[in-house]
Amino acid sequence: MQKLLLFIDKLSTWLGQFFAWSIVGLTALISWEVFSRYVVGAPHAWAFDVMLMFYGILFMMAGAYTLSKNGHVRGDVLYGFFPPRLQAGLDLTLYIVFFIPGVLALCYAGWSYAGESWAIKEHSSIMADGPPIYPFKTFIPFAGAILLLQGFVEIVRCAICLKDGAWPSREEDVEEVDVEKLKEMVHVKDEDIAKLDAYVVKEGAAK
Amino acid sequence: MSKGIWFGLSIMAIIVVGTLIAMPSPSQMTQGHMGLLMLSLVVVAIMLGFPTAFTLMGMGMLFAFAAYYMQNRVVEGAMNQTLDLMVSRAWSVMNNDVLISIPLFVFMGYLVERANLIEKLFKSLHLALARVPGSLAVATLVTCAIFATATGIVGAVVTLMGLLALPAMLKAGYNVKVAAGAITAGGCLGILIPPSVMLIVYGATAGVSVVQLYAGAFFPGIMLTLLYIGYMIIVAKIKPEWAPPLTAEQRFVELPPHAAQVRSVTGSTNALSGFLRAVRANQIAVAERRKVARDLLLMFLPAIAFVILMGLTWNSLTKPNVVTDTSELQEMGGAVDTSGSDAGGLAAPPGADTAPSGLTALPAEEPKAKDEAPTGLTALPAEEPKAQDSAPSGLSPLSTEGPKAAASGPSDLSPPPGDGAKEKPAQAPKAADKPAEKAKPAEAPAAKEMQRLPAPDAFWWVLGVGLLGLAVLFALFSYERVEIYKMLLTSFFPLAVLILAVLGTIVFGLATPTEAAAIGSYGGFGLAAVYMLVKEPPERMRRILKTWAPLFVAAIVAVIWFLLWKFEVLASGPPAWVGWISVAATTVWCVMATLQVKLIGTVRESVYLTAKTSAMVCWLFVGSSIFSAAFALLGGQEIIERWVLSLGLTPVQFMILAQAIIFLLGWPLEWTEIIVIFMPIFIPLLAKFNIDPLFFGLLVALNLQTAFLSPPVAMAAFYLKGVAPPHVTLNQIFLGMIPFMMIQVVALVLLYTFPQIGLWLPQVLYK
Repeated sequence: MQKLLLFIDKLSTWLGQFFAWSIVGLTALISWEVFSRYVVGAPHAWAFDVMLMFYGILFMMAGAYTLSKNGHVRGDVLYGFFPPRLQAGLDLTLYIVFFIPGVLALCYAGWSYAGESWAIKEHSSIMADGPPIYPFKTFIPFAGAILLLQGFVEIVRCAICLKDGAWPSREEDVEEVDVEKLKEMVHVKDEDIAKLDAYVVKEGAAK
Repeated sequence: MSKGIWFGLSIMAIIVVGTLIAMPSPSQMTQGHMGLLMLSLVVVAIMLGFPTAFTLMGMGMLFAFAAYYMQNRVVEGAMNQTLDLMVSRAWSVMNNDVLISIPLFVFMGYLVERANLIEKLFKSLHLALARVPGSLAVATLVTCAIFATATGIVGAVVTLMGLLALPAMLKAGYNVKVAAGAITAGGCLGILIPPSVMLIVYGATAGVSVVQLYAGAFFPGIMLTLLYIGYMIIVAKIKPEWAPPLTAEQRFVELPPHAAQVRSVTGSTNALSGFLRAVRANQIAVAERRKVARDLLLMFLPAIAFVILMGLTWNSLTKPNVVTDTSELQEMGGAVDTSGSDAGGLAAPPGADTAPSGLTALPAEEPKAKDEAPTGLTALPAEEPKAQDSAPSGLSPLSTEGPKAAASGPSDLSPPPGDGAKEKPAQAPKAADKPAEKAKPAEAPAAKEMQRLPAPDAFWWVLGVGLLGLAVLFALFSYERVEIYKMLLTSFFPLAVLILAVLGTIVFGLATPTEAAAIGSYGGFGLAAVYMLVKEPPERMRRILKTWAPLFVAAIVAVIWFLLWKFEVLASGPPAWVGWISVAATTVWCVMATLQVKLIGTVRESVYLTAKTSAMVCWLFVGSSIFSAAFALLGGQEIIERWVLSLGLTPVQFMILAQAIIFLLGWPLEWTEIIVIFMPIFIPLLAKFNIDPLFFGLLVALNLQTAFLSPPVAMAAFYLKGVAPPHVTLNQIFLGMIPFMMIQVVALVLLYTFPQIGLWLPQVLYK
């Protein structure tokens, strides 16, 4: 069981990170298209559709990855002050009430939506002679399924937390604000910060 | 559990119970009532701290089902409709051509952040602003504004400034509260000043053009920054003990050996005359002289840039209407071609045959200049003369402008590496106005049949003011200032250019936000590559630069050619093969740079972070669009509309009410949630009150600045606390932020009273 959960965690992270690289593809494609269109004067009709695909795949597939790293925005005015058990209890309830039905529905609806698209081998209609979009639509149920799996892992996390009274640790990942790394980047050490205290205290005393 | 939690929970309970009581009994319940119930429940559900995207998705689904069921009373049909609704909403977010620029801007931000130029930026700005009262705080604000605008990442900016500026300010004897306020307020500016992600999200939600929002938010953003700076200066004046001026020691700039030598040898206090005399009189060693020459060239960059800019503007302003006669244009192009090749291959490849020589001539000057910036700019002037060349007779000796001399100097007169370059630019400031004036009569015959149009007066005013500014600049250049200027050149200007280029192309309609963002990401990558390169040992750096130079040249040639064509100096754009060569060159460069300076780690981190941030915003969009669809289905919008209209508010009152609500929402919620959930409720009301959604968006953007600074979810404060010395308390930080919040409110009032601050630019540009 434990192994399976870790596997799912790894899977969604891996998938998310794999498809995250499409941002590089997106940047390259648009830069190239800009060059081609403005400098050389040879625009491509399909470029717009492909851009949207890169972008759509990027964020859809990163949904589970973000969930596994606890990266989705929360209203944490109160949540942040709750003890872990209460947090876990609330999360568990809401996963079951909101998350599972919502994502399950998205997944199921996406499945038939993509199926219809496959059946007619749908092509994009934004431009004449658009590229095929049925593979792109397939990403809706695919991303939904991964998200659902990750949701189950999160539910188990909540259960573990309810039992132990502390959140199980998550795997390390790059963070937006990695204080240690930033300190290294600007060559500031902890001692330096500690030394600064003298100035703060002195000022306080002077008052 | 503490009292606060009980307090929060009981408020939630009161909301739920209150709504339930206010609801009529289930038998009489209409759909609209359900909509209101939904709205009040979602506020509570968000407070519970579950990821908002999924709260909205789940709730939207449940209520959409309820709505469909209440319409038909058929379970299966309602289910199918709900499923259809959900997937079509998700699909519309995946196909949203406004949101697509979010990952690109975010990616650009992460790349720029990791280019690690904030340390240099802060240091150079604090030295440059040393004489301003409260200089450290002002420098902090400016650094924050620039850096946060380029990156758009509040947390990282506040943390970095907490590590750099806070120690500097505390050591200089600044009051803790003042220091903390400047850092936190400054760090949040990036979310307002375009290109910002918040405006894209608003644009996507409200259906307002992002381009107009960017144009509109530009001046309010600048205004807020200036208000902050003004406040800091006033504080420093009134309460010097809170923000003491820098001591001479803190202002000290160490001169490099060659500058020190020049000063002692020539005895001149003005760097310009000192350097010029030192070069001419052969008073110092050759090796030092080379550095002096390089400094001189750098000092003339603003003048060169100004002359080129004014030249191009003048050219396009006075260009006769070519619509009537295109053959003339082509003839002119022909003339350019021949004169271009006459100029000795330096003038880049006008035709196929001269191209190889252009390619060889340019790399030749690349290593000499050593720096990246000058090559870009010397390459530019190299082509500039072509405009004048089309009038061979008009080229009087004097009107051989500064830039031409500067550019052709190094490559033509190679033996004394800088001599040619220094001599002629020396006359540039004096001569600069002459060529401009002379050019007018001189060019006239060149155009033969085509009469040059007279340039508008505004042009001459700008020219005059610019020249005056340049003269003042050169008069003020002391050796220390040259050092500071050089530091600014490597830290402040690249960022400023990146931001202005991205913003400029968007605002002037040259490119869509998506395109500009992609190019910006590219620029961010380039910036990171160059800054990583500078950190390498000099030997290796030189070696790598040699491999980069030819690749750059190919791309720069194509871009300059393109620009000249766009400014109507050249008659035709670059041929396709030049373009393809440059695309190939840039691609090769990207791969090479990634490998050579070990960028791969940086890029990987940026990629992963981009994915997470975009997923956060875009999934929130998926959730909220399902939610708002359900809300609309239930007709909640109509009830709210009817209720608001029944209050009989005037537009002004409505506006104030709306802003007050958003202000209050900013306390517990983050900006993403506020915009994505609550804007769809406000936006339809705007039409009823004849309020411009663009103007409303600007007010909201300014208003949401307060959301970052208002406790208890003021993220900025917590980031700062994380890196502050232990005795700096959260309370001190919060207290420091309060004056800045007041200023935000003042800015809001100002913008409201004088809407032209925001609306002027969009109106000028898009009407």
